[in-house]
Amino acid sequence: MKRTVRQYLLHFFFILLPVMTYGTERAWSSDLHTWTVEEIGVLRSLSIDSLPPLPKDPTNKYADNKKAAILGNIFFTDSRFSGNLKVSCATCHPANRNFADNLPLAHGMGTTNRRTMPLIGVAYNTWFFWDGRKDSAWSQALGPFESPVEHGFTRTRCAQIIIDHYKDDYEALFGPLPVFSKRDLPALAKPAIDEPVSLKAWITMPPDVKDAVNRIYANMGKAIAAFMRTIIPAPSRFDHYVRAIVEKDQKSAIKILSSDEVKGLRLFIGKAQCLNCHTGPLFTNGDFHNISIPQPADLPADQGRADGIAKVLADEFNCLSVYSDAPRSDCGELRFIDTDTDKYAGAFKTPTLRNVAERAPYMHAGQFSTLHEVLEFYKNLPPGQRSPELGHFDLNDREMHQLESFLRTLSGPLIFASD
Amino acid sequence: MKLLFSAFLIVLMPFMVSADTDHSKFTQHYKESLFKITENGHFSVEMVLKEKVLQVGKNAINLILHDNKDRDVVGATLTVIPWMPDMGHGVSEQPVIEEKGGGLYKVKNVVISMSGRWELRITVARDATEDTTVFEFKDIKKGKGHHHAMSAPAAGDIDLSVTRLSHKKLFSVTYESLLDPLRINRIHSWKLTVKTADGQPVTGATVTVDGDMPEHGHGLPTQPEVTQEVGQGVYLVEGLKFSMPGWWVMDFHIQKNDQEDTVTFNIQPK
Repeated sequence: MKRTVRQYLLHFFFILLPVMTYGTERAWSSDLHTWTVEEIGVLRSLSIDSLPPLPKDPTNKYADNKKAAILGNIFFTDSRFSGNLKVSCATCHPANRNFADNLPLAHGMGTTNRRTMPLIGVAYNTWFFWDGRKDSAWSQALGPFESPVEHGFTRTRCAQIIIDHYKDDYEALFGPLPVFSKRDLPALAKPAIDEPVSLKAWITMPPDVKDAVNRIYANMGKAIAAFMRTIIPAPSRFDHYVRAIVEKDQKSAIKILSSDEVKGLRLFIGKAQCLNCHTGPLFTNGDFHNISIPQPADLPADQGRADGIAKVLADEFNCLSVYSDAPRSDCGELRFIDTDTDKYAGAFKTPTLRNVAERAPYMHAGQFSTLHEVLEFYKNLPPGQRSPELGHFDLNDREMHQLESFLRTLSGPLIFASD
Repeated sequence: MKLLFSAFLIVLMPFMVSADTDHSKFTQHYKESLFKITENGHFSVEMVLKEKVLQVGKNAINLILHDNKDRDVVGATLTVIPWMPDMGHGVSEQPVIEEKGGGLYKVKNVVISMSGRWELRITVARDATEDTTVFEFKDIKKGKGHHHAMSAPAAGDIDLSVTRLSHKKLFSVTYESLLDPLRINRIHSWKLTVKTADGQPVTGATVTVDGDMPEHGHGLPTQPEVTQEVGQGVYLVEGLKFSMPGWWVMDFHIQKNDQEDTVTFNIQPK
């Protein structure tokens, strides 16, 4: 930026003095859109054109099965899989609203303690949920069904609904359903540590029946994951801008983003330090960070990732479980998980910034209702809570506005990969 | 009037004398050093570092200490804290201090995590005497004219060799990444070939792994491990992952019988 200003002044004094107003404007705007080779490298790394093909999910052999994705889409919107027949995955992830509910805390049968996560580009995640307590999209999809404040349901009832309503579709994909007697599937049964009645019903079931139910439940999750995988972002104005810059088409570039938006982009990849966590074409490093965000007073304390580590290791549907299709060698993320709970105390997953402007409120419990509030939070972190990688303490109001303007250029349509 | 002036002088005298002796007690022994006297006048601290500047990343400095009778300060306990006053934070990495004798203390692992104004806060404690001084660095920069928080030192600045000698020169170690080129956010494995300095394979060694990002003061997002020896002195390191592009430092600690040493590789995943 310093160089830009200096050049501007040189132009001003020696070349452009006679045609002052018109000339300086032009010099300024062409400089604004001139990027160094290094900067273009950074822009490309953030562009959607750098998004690799959907990564394989070795834990789910149905991940790229189109029929599984179609069935998964139906499961996703079927509210019969809920205690009050009103809640489906789409309740909190409505397709017509970016698969997000725009509420501070998710509402199913009750209210959860966290914000609904975006599903955009979900297949690229390593860890799922804010605390990464799941390591695959299909095991993630199963969590909400048995949560009393989300679907308020049980896996035995899920199995029963599949037997009653989805027998043919299910068997065409996953093979024959077992035959259960009514007594085999107690409606209340689930391995819920804090619901003793349900836990007792589950624990006292014969092992082979539990295993058969778990297989149906896991397959249900795998179908839903096959559908969720297809939800990917399409190019935003930012991506079109980078394409124009890469193709050295400055004339087009100038029309795509405004001066403020480009200045915001320069801040984003420069002194605002956003790149420290929001890297790559999905604008996330996929890791967990404690950014000293205040926990709402009416919610219990939340240790985030520090608690998620043991949960994913203990998860009955994790990569190393019998319900995963992955060989042990494909479970590196779980086998070499960082177990440092001090490092991850109060840490939450870096969310994608794609479509971020469409997704208020923000943070793991919807603490901030606008992007402006989020940026102010980073600016005003008290000294004791600052880490060298976090925050932009020296931005002025104008720059804060530019940064926010840039974030709004990351909105684009969602598309389905199988289309 | 004369009387008043004399009285004034008499009152002033002790201060003048003490101010004078304060200076005479301490000598700057090294021309090229940064020189400070501690706040309560107990010690002088001379800091010797390359071109008198610190850089973003890991720095090593030499400190030479004298007391107020110009004697070498031996057996002192030093603390060195890099501090960023505008940000109100330090770094999580601790400097490593080694006394070399004759008042010389080598301080390694002085991590400067970002460019800007920094202080090195130094406390010297010997017997019952403790005193402090602060060296200020107005504008610490990255290695070579880089502007962005993300940029790493220029390729020429750091040694990216895949074969390096361990610190005490006990082992010659080569790594081969099975993910080539090195990319961020991909979990992958390395093969580590460990030989003695004269080229004999080192078998059955215990090898542990650690990695960090000096410019940012944080470690790896995973806990990689050496899982097996796949050939004579060839060790498989699994679970490596780099969460940011830029300069990372990988340390492998190798122990064989009573010999142990650490080898360090610089890498730049993209």
